[in-house]
Amino acid sequence: MSVELSTQGQVLSASQVSAGYDGRAIVHGIDVEATPGRVVSIVGPNGSGKSTLLKSLVGVVPVLGGSVSVGGTDITNVPPERIATMGVGYVPQVDDVFPPLTVKENLEIGGYLLPRHQVHERIGAVLEFFPRLKKMMTRKAGKLSGGERKMLAMGRVLMLSPSVLVLDEPTANLAPLVATQLLEEYIRGFADAGSTVLLVEQRAKAALRISDWTLVLGGGRVVLSGRPDDLADNPVFVESFLGGGAHR
Amino acid sequence: MSVFLSSLGFGIISAAVLAIATVGFTMQFAVTNVLNLAYGSVMINSAFVTYFLNIHGHLNAWVALIGGVATGSVASYLLNRFVYTPFQRRNLAPITIVIVALGVDLCGTFGLQAIVGGSYFTYRQSQGREWHFLGMYFSTLQLTIIAIALGVMIAVAWLLRYTRLGKAMRATSANPNLARNSGVRTQSVISTTWLISGALAGLAGTVFAMNTGVFEATSAQLYIVLLLAAMFLGGPGEPYGAMLGAATIGIATELSAAFINPQYKMVIAFVILLGMLTFRPYGLFGSERTA
Ligand SMILES: Nc1ncnc2c1ncn2[C@@H]1O[C@H](COP(=O)(O)OP(=O)(O)OP(=O)(O)O)[C@@H](O)[C@H]1O
Ligand SMILES: [Mg+2]
Repeated sequence: MSVELSTQGQVLSASQVSAGYDGRAIVHGIDVEATPGRVVSIVGPNGSGKSTLLKSLVGVVPVLGGSVSVGGTDITNVPPERIATMGVGYVPQVDDVFPPLTVKENLEIGGYLLPRHQVHERIGAVLEFFPRLKKMMTRKAGKLSGGERKMLAMGRVLMLSPSVLVLDEPTANLAPLVATQLLEEYIRGFADAGSTVLLVEQRAKAALRISDWTLVLGGGRVVLSGRPDDLADNPVFVESFLGGGAHR
Repeated sequence: MSVFLSSLGFGIISAAVLAIATVGFTMQFAVTNVLNLAYGSVMINSAFVTYFLNIHGHLNAWVALIGGVATGSVASYLLNRFVYTPFQRRNLAPITIVIVALGVDLCGTFGLQAIVGGSYFTYRQSQGREWHFLGMYFSTLQLTIIAIALGVMIAVAWLLRYTRLGKAMRATSANPNLARNSGVRTQSVISTTWLISGALAGLAGTVFAMNTGVFEATSAQLYIVLLLAAMFLGGPGEPYGAMLGAATIGIATELSAAFINPQYKMVIAFVILLGMLTFRPYGLFGSERTA
């Protein structure tokens, strides 16, 4: 379904990555490997460093130790605008659109690296995928509902046909039904079509359902990792994430 | 001719000059995140380069203006490259840049005064004939300035709205990290913004001096008050707002000069600025976003 939107994946690999702000590490010694055709998810409590980790992979936050590569090319501390040219698409948890720009202009910026004549065609392809955006092309992104906004954020990143998708809580603030659809149809769909997906998701159950591999972050470190089935049988994991009702 | 109409005429010309300056100023602030309080000194230095080319280079003032525009552009680019960016890199408190900018402004203005002295200057330029509209008089020079302002407004609006660069500028202003994640080389967008907005400062400085007729090194020293008032009136980073803000401030200050006291021009602008900051901090047209 998403065949023509994303392209054949590349391996995104982080080795012993430490990263943080102002020279102070928030995440420590993280290993992640995301491979084509698979969804790797990261779960963990608030403040455990999930967003910081993703930001360091895409160049927004400095990597203080370890290394990151995509498709075998080292991208450690490469500026984000260069990483964007290598097929890595990133949707941040917050500030995921350009609010004063229209929906159309947001998509155009998404396609900034494309040759001019391809931009229009790509917008067409993205709109086929998220038809709801069709009716709001001239609306400012800041005026969209939470769900529409996430679609736009996803649409923007799809403009460059990324081979690796790095998504930070794409379902936050979405109605449960929309969230499930986004995860199970769209995001799982990208992986099934051959892309690489690295996903941070607070809804642990939903994350396990679509993942091939899951990491649990706590206090900036990987505290558990494994295949979803195994994690679902792990009492520590069940206690912290699936039971009790403290978490969704 | 009534006092009201004649001062309205003055107001329209002041507004035209101010509009050119404010559009550059607001663009600079929105995209580069630097409140360049040295803008007035860039304007007046550019005006003096035009003067030099006009008087000593024996160029027609309109040709010499190109030198003034180039000066504003290059000076602003260098100012960012060698002063603001190094300070910004250090992640200091935002107030630091404001203090640095004030220092640059003083150096720019009084450095210029040290070179040209305290005397008055005037371009070798004809005012042209007088034209009469609706009870107001305009010289050909003044009408030319108004036409240039309109041309600049249209060009800037077109740039921001329809060009790839303009969209990248707005994206950089709204969300620089996301712009970079989309492949926009924001550093070069910001450098280009300094070149363009600096050119507008140079243009504004020169037409300001042309319009004043007689000017000195410190003539634009308080101009920053008008710029801030016009920018906040229209909403920081809103080019259309800047145009309307400039029109309002230009006309309001000239009318107040005629009916209250010319000395109070800046005070009136300042009162409007304070009122805006109190009641509509995002401007009459702005929304809560940039800045
Ligand atoms: N820009 C920043 N500067 C300094 N510290 C930050 C910054 N952003 C986040 N932090 C700190 O880093 C830690 C990890 O934050 P991060 O956003 O990575 O957590 P998270 O796991 O994504 O949380 P959430 O589930 O709430 O999104 C927190 O303690 C946070 O306060
Ligand atoms: Mg987060």
